[in-house]
Amino acid sequence: MSSADASLNLAGGGFLRRYRNEIGLLIATFAVIIVTSFFNESYVERPGENVQKILRVTALLGIFAFGAATVIIAGGIDLSAGAVIAFSGMLFAGIIVLLAPQNDRKLPVTSDLDAWIIVTAIAGTLLAALLIGSFHAWLITIVRLPPFVATLASLVGLRSLAKVVVQNITSVSHGQGKSTITLDNEALLSVGQRGGWWIPVVIWFALAVALWILLSRTVIGRHLYAMGGNEQAARLSGIQTEKLKWLAYCISTTTAAIAGILYTCYIGTADPSRDGMGYELNAIAASVVGGCSLAGGVGTVTGVMLGALFLRVVIDSVEKSFASRPDLFEGQVVGALVILAVAFNELRSTSGWRRPFFPGVLGWLNVGILSGLAGLITGVTSSEDKLRNGLIAGGCVLVLLMFKAVLERIAERK
Amino acid sequence: MSDQTSEPLIDFRGVAKRFGGVVALSDVSFNVRQGEFHAICGENGAGKSTLMKILSGVITDYEGQIVLRGTPVAFKRTRDAEEAGISIIHQELNLVEQLSAAANIFLGRELRSPLGLLNDRAMERAAADLFQQLDCQIRPDALVSELRIGDQQLVEIAKAIALKTDVLIMDEPTSALTETEVERLFRVIELLRRQGVTILYISHKMDEVFRLSDRITVLRDGKVVRTLDRAATNPREIAHLMVGREIEAFDLGGGRNAQDVVLQVEHLSLPWPGHARRWRLEDVSFELRRGEVLGIAGLMGAGRTELLECLFGSASAPVQGTIRLDGREVRFRHPSQAKAAGVAMVTEDRKRYGLFTQMTVRENITICTLPDSSTAGVVSGRRERSAATDSIARLGVKTSGPEAAITSLSGGNQQKCIIARWLRTQPRVLLLDDPTRGVDVGAKAELYRLIDELCKTGLGIIVTSSELPELITLCDRVLVLCEGRLTGELGRSELTEQRIMELATLRPALQPA
Repeated sequence: MSSADASLNLAGGGFLRRYRNEIGLLIATFAVIIVTSFFNESYVERPGENVQKILRVTALLGIFAFGAATVIIAGGIDLSAGAVIAFSGMLFAGIIVLLAPQNDRKLPVTSDLDAWIIVTAIAGTLLAALLIGSFHAWLITIVRLPPFVATLASLVGLRSLAKVVVQNITSVSHGQGKSTITLDNEALLSVGQRGGWWIPVVIWFALAVALWILLSRTVIGRHLYAMGGNEQAARLSGIQTEKLKWLAYCISTTTAAIAGILYTCYIGTADPSRDGMGYELNAIAASVVGGCSLAGGVGTVTGVMLGALFLRVVIDSVEKSFASRPDLFEGQVVGALVILAVAFNELRSTSGWRRPFFPGVLGWLNVGILSGLAGLITGVTSSEDKLRNGLIAGGCVLVLLMFKAVLERIAERK
Repeated sequence: MSDQTSEPLIDFRGVAKRFGGVVALSDVSFNVRQGEFHAICGENGAGKSTLMKILSGVITDYEGQIVLRGTPVAFKRTRDAEEAGISIIHQELNLVEQLSAAANIFLGRELRSPLGLLNDRAMERAAADLFQQLDCQIRPDALVSELRIGDQQLVEIAKAIALKTDVLIMDEPTSALTETEVERLFRVIELLRRQGVTILYISHKMDEVFRLSDRITVLRDGKVVRTLDRAATNPREIAHLMVGREIEAFDLGGGRNAQDVVLQVEHLSLPWPGHARRWRLEDVSFELRRGEVLGIAGLMGAGRTELLECLFGSASAPVQGTIRLDGREVRFRHPSQAKAAGVAMVTEDRKRYGLFTQMTVRENITICTLPDSSTAGVVSGRRERSAATDSIARLGVKTSGPEAAITSLSGGNQQKCIIARWLRTQPRVLLLDDPTRGVDVGAKAELYRLIDELCKTGLGIIVTSSELPELITLCDRVLVLCEGRLTGELGRSELTEQRIMELATLRPALQPA
């Protein structure tokens, strides 16, 4: 009877507890949207357009965030996503210009491409991604490099390689070395734009279903979670961890390559020195905000999707709120959200809220740092009276935090 | 000593602690007198370690009050407790392995030269004095990682003395020590007592408790059962109070029927690159029959675990020699091959090498045999659940259900889940590496019965254990290892603790004590 009671209990409170993270993210996302719509009419006046835009950018981030999340769940880390995006975008565009018909001035014409060229370009790019993933797996499982080091080498090396390869490809296709490849093809450009805005979104959802099945319904998925949770125990349970790692790192590079192809189509130009710069951290941020633990073994597909959505909604909201140069704020938003999300998870699991946040000299120092940051950000985002606004905001935060720090010291003394 | 009028050194008054919904301690009240050796006994999970962590400032958030020398204290961190003269030596030692013994003793309170740089020479001299005082020969400049575990413990004790400790808490200090190291530890404890140090000693080994203590406090389920004078009680009574019921004497092994040889090992050697001994295991030969329990005894570092790892394909280096399973030679390079061939292994150190703590009971049980519950790689939830439920029922795992978190189970029940995991692979040979470590007395008995039953179904079982009585209870034969070599084999009729210890210490060049 007692066991039946317990299972009933699990069924009742289980849903909320099990999807606590997802529900929290959904609520937070809506809250950000509602607050933003007070400051900016865009959401109210043009909801359709905004939904399209947010979904598109979320999908592009979400696709390679799946890869990052798979590796994190498997207990590793992949820093190469941005470089893989740049390399794949370059390769995709490069294969097209190499295969495209040439005009009378011996330049490739990309305006009207046969389907086989595009299919070859996609297949070649995905194959290259599998090779990169296999290389990572070899470095990690056979050479026994830490995943951080192996993929960090790719992060810098692969982008550099792409920059050299693009010169060589264009010297063959265009007769002279260039640092970018531009595709002038209506069909490709429509991917992610106007009529084709849904294409990345559909690909994202399709990958989500596939990854969800893999992670939560198959033997391989269970083994990935097991390996991420306790690699030694997994190996000693007869799980072939080397193969699993190969799979995880290949999923990571393949999703990054898909994203690379989509970015190149959307922008129309492959520029390996700029494409995907820093995106590996956005992907890791989306995974972590979505509830993956960097220690491994924890994370869900829906969580990662909502993590990516939340990240993009907050970035969009900041862009809407600050009309001038909104792109400048993206890094700050991602940085702050990662700290908040991880700190929130950390504090929730321990009895952390009651412990002092500003003890000792480091505490006082950080009271100052946080106030200074608040003042600085307020100042630079104000359109006029930058100094005054900055000082007011910084001063207010300083008073508040000092109050908290003093309260903590009084409580400590008791 | 029996000065009842003097006020107690430490007085626990209604100390209580909860972890989430679990009550670890409730209304614990007893006192410790100045200079006494006070043993604290209880099964695993009784709350002994939690109480000591509160006293030493590791846990700061609890109810109730601790009164030290007549004044209430509330330590905010271990530093506060150390300043009040209370030091703890944890079960897992708290040393930085990459630093020298002297550096560890002075960690956080380093001696400095007038220029403000580290004064290693002065620290080493002071450490040498401390070791002298403890009558032990440890080089102060030796790295801790190079010291034997018993010596490492003495470094911790030296550290405690350097802190002018007058209350020393020791949490199961002998669990990893050899006989000689235990003797030396007891001599050191005797020395400390003569200097007036009060000792709080956590253990469930009755011989140690009765040898040393003045008074014994028994904890059960987070409550104090009673505090007794040693002279007025006996081991049987303490054991009874710990468990809350009489422990039945065991007589297993009846009705067993050893059949044909299932596993044959010849001249097995495991190299140890870069080590003076060169071999972790050297020229080990034995056989295992169906339906028998074979024990492997030996001190720590004798090669018990390594021997099982060789049989399971998880050894650290390529194995030499031949292993035959049902007459066919096998050479496992990965545990997955051993699993497929019908060899199963329940590893020691459940938490590090066995459990998936983020997973449920069900997931922990089915992890090795998930393909059995799936079609084309896709797991059938229904089949998996019924497999787990079946195992839970068969092994009598106490859990609220297959979906409970594995961490909500007691040590013994977690161990049953791991055994269940491997039984589902339908093995021919079951390797159990110290299966009852961290399992309380009652659950131990259940595991013994389970092992006996499995043996009677025709499984060949190899058990290692750090507790000799366990091997004597369980095994039909015991192999004894000493420093990687097989030094003897004892049949059931010859099994005594003394005989095993003799063989386990049978070193070629043993210096006289």
